[in-house]
Amino acid sequence: MKNIGYYSFPETPKAALAGLLDRKAEAIVVAGGTLTAKTLPDTIVNYIDLKNLPLGYIKKRGRDLVIGSTATFDEIDNSKLVKSWAGGVLSAAAARCSSQLIRNMATLGGNIARPHSFNIFPAVLLGLDAGVRLLSKTGVRTIPFSELYRAGFSLRPGRDCLILEVIIPAKTKNWVCGFEKFAKTEASWEAYITLFMAAEMKNGVIKEARISLGALSPKPFRAFAAEKALSGVKLSDAAVKAAVAALKSELDAARAGEFKKAAAARLLAGFLQTI
Amino acid sequence: MKKENTRLEALNGMFGIELSVNGVKKTFKVKNDEFLLDALRRHGYKSVKKGCDTGDCGSCTVLLDGKPVLACLIPAFAAHGSDITSVEGLGTVRAPHPLQEAFVEAGAVQCGFCIPGMILASKSLLDAHPDPSEDEIKKYLDGNLCRCTGYVKQIKAVKMAAKKLKRSRQ
Repeated sequence: MKNIGYYSFPETPKAALAGLLDRKAEAIVVAGGTLTAKTLPDTIVNYIDLKNLPLGYIKKRGRDLVIGSTATFDEIDNSKLVKSWAGGVLSAAAARCSSQLIRNMATLGGNIARPHSFNIFPAVLLGLDAGVRLLSKTGVRTIPFSELYRAGFSLRPGRDCLILEVIIPAKTKNWVCGFEKFAKTEASWEAYITLFMAAEMKNGVIKEARISLGALSPKPFRAFAAEKALSGVKLSDAAVKAAVAALKSELDAARAGEFKKAAAARLLAGFLQTI
Repeated sequence: MKKENTRLEALNGMFGIELSVNGVKKTFKVKNDEFLLDALRRHGYKSVKKGCDTGDCGSCTVLLDGKPVLACLIPAFAAHGSDITSVEGLGTVRAPHPLQEAFVEAGAVQCGFCIPGMILASKSLLDAHPDPSEDEIKKYLDGNLCRCTGYVKQIKAVKMAAKKLKRSRQ
């Protein structure tokens, strides 16, 4: 931080982006700052604080749920609208992040922009087929959340572009969802496993399943084989066993390690037994 | 406080910031790599404690625009234009805040290092939820670590303070 020469607090996303793209002074955008304040590179000259941007909203747009990027974990945790969506899984996930003091500061945008594998929301948003609205020098565009972490994706959130909002599609509103964070303590920032699970049920049959994991590899990933093992089947002990076996083989491929593999499998089996 | 510009410039690595601390307008000179915790302590607000300095212990809790936050994670310059409340702003030895009274009466204070942060987090809770459940108290205080008493008496103190505040409102 020793070279910071400017503290900017723009009031519009356009002004924030202009500061970010100004090559005369290397800039970084910060919202809550909980993941970045202690680790800012010394090359940063312009510290752009996003707290005044009008992006703290949580609302419905059409039939989708839309959450602005500067909404804090506490706001997501306590939003009635979020609690009513997908079994309240986003609220439940927000409540599992670290401590209340951190939840008061940390934002949704920061949590997905800073690529720590143990972050709470990436696994959840990946599983919910979320979209992300970005502002870059070419304008505003919406990309699938999965694109944000794809190797070769050219924009770095917070350095080349701004995350404006996250869009949770209407189809997920009635999904049966679960979220588990497995960590040393409830308040630990660094989870060993974050696991999102969802099932779209129809007449007792799982029409579509979603299983996504974080903290087990540098980037969150979906367990497609385990999802396939569950899709189109009536839930039974055999179906649970097949899904767990598929998940284990995927975790072997991801080199998650024996302990984490066993723990994730237990968490998945536990969720499936609650449906 | 209302911000009038949207950018501050450092001179020789120092920012001049304007903020309100415990209801009093102040102008601080702060270093560009200094955190709010250190700036407040340097300006005499010693109730803001330096514990872990990594956002884990809650000793440095202050209310920033009414919300409890970790002063060790906020660059000092980022407090420009904010309203800060520390425990010095709640009550005095002769006229303590009901929360301060309750913490003493419940025997919730031993070494006292964590208590300013805990009281400020509790104040935020009671402002939002005047009659909190035990689970709500535990959730609100989950970021304030105590290594002396445990947490039973502190939870009791918050319940006592809620009753005191309720009586004072009647």
